[in-house]
Amino acid sequence: MNCNKEAIALMHQYLDGELYKDDERRLRDHLQTCPSCQEHFHELKRTTTLIKNTTSVSAPPRFTANVMANLPKEKKRKNYLR
Amino acid sequence: METMIKQKIKEVKKGDQSAFEDIVSFYQNKVYHICLRMVGNSYEAEDLAQEAFIRAYTNLHTFDEKRKFSTWLYRIATNLSIDRIRKKKPDYHLDAEVRGTEGLDMYSQLAADQALPEEEVESLELQTYIHKEILALPPKYRSVIVLRYLDELALQEIAEVLDIPVGTVKTRVHRGREALRKRLRHV
Repeated sequence: MNCNKEAIALMHQYLDGELYKDDERRLRDHLQTCPSCQEHFHELKRTTTLIKNTTSVSAPPRFTANVMANLPKEKKRKNYLR
Repeated sequence: METMIKQKIKEVKKGDQSAFEDIVSFYQNKVYHICLRMVGNSYEAEDLAQEAFIRAYTNLHTFDEKRKFSTWLYRIATNLSIDRIRKKKPDYHLDAEVRGTEGLDMYSQLAADQALPEEEVESLELQTYIHKEILALPPKYRSVIVLRYLDELALQEIAEVLDIPVGTVKTRVHRGREALRKRLRHV
């Protein structure tokens, strides 16, 4: 397997949940024999873990109330109904 | 939850503005998250997230109820953020980056009077660092990475949010992830 082209592409497909079973097996076999790809894969998995760990963002206090206060006024339909 | 949101959308469309409150409340963290990761500055992010909800409200009649509301809403938020980035002057100040981390620093301020355990401080520093590295990505890679790891959005859904082919999303996610791998490997 060509490390730079094929193996790395398969790693990304794996990380996006788009790897077929056959390819997954091929990737696994390759990783067992290729330390540099192992390292690469480890770094990628670690990167995704790090990104996921930053995702605990909360909107500022009173965010919803501020949005509600800034909405355009409700349309008055009475006039048209008369 | 999607059913509750669908119901609320119907009520808003019928003219009940107050039903919109539950929609905002439910999505506020995610929409704010997108804006913050895209523009990096907590004040601007709040402003953009507010604008996104107001636009969603005023354009709700154009939303096709057969589709997923979150996709539509994230699209508004992402487009507004990208527009803002484009309008920004390229020579932005160093402290703009620092200000972008205020959303994170707030946690440490709120945490307690006593000193934080060391590992928490470390992880806060780490989070700030990662946030900056995401911000250092060009916007087209930044947007796919942010969406990919917000809610674990699938590639197809990201394609719908950004209105680009799924193949393009795939390439950008891969490149963005490689770029971050190189920047974060020594962490």
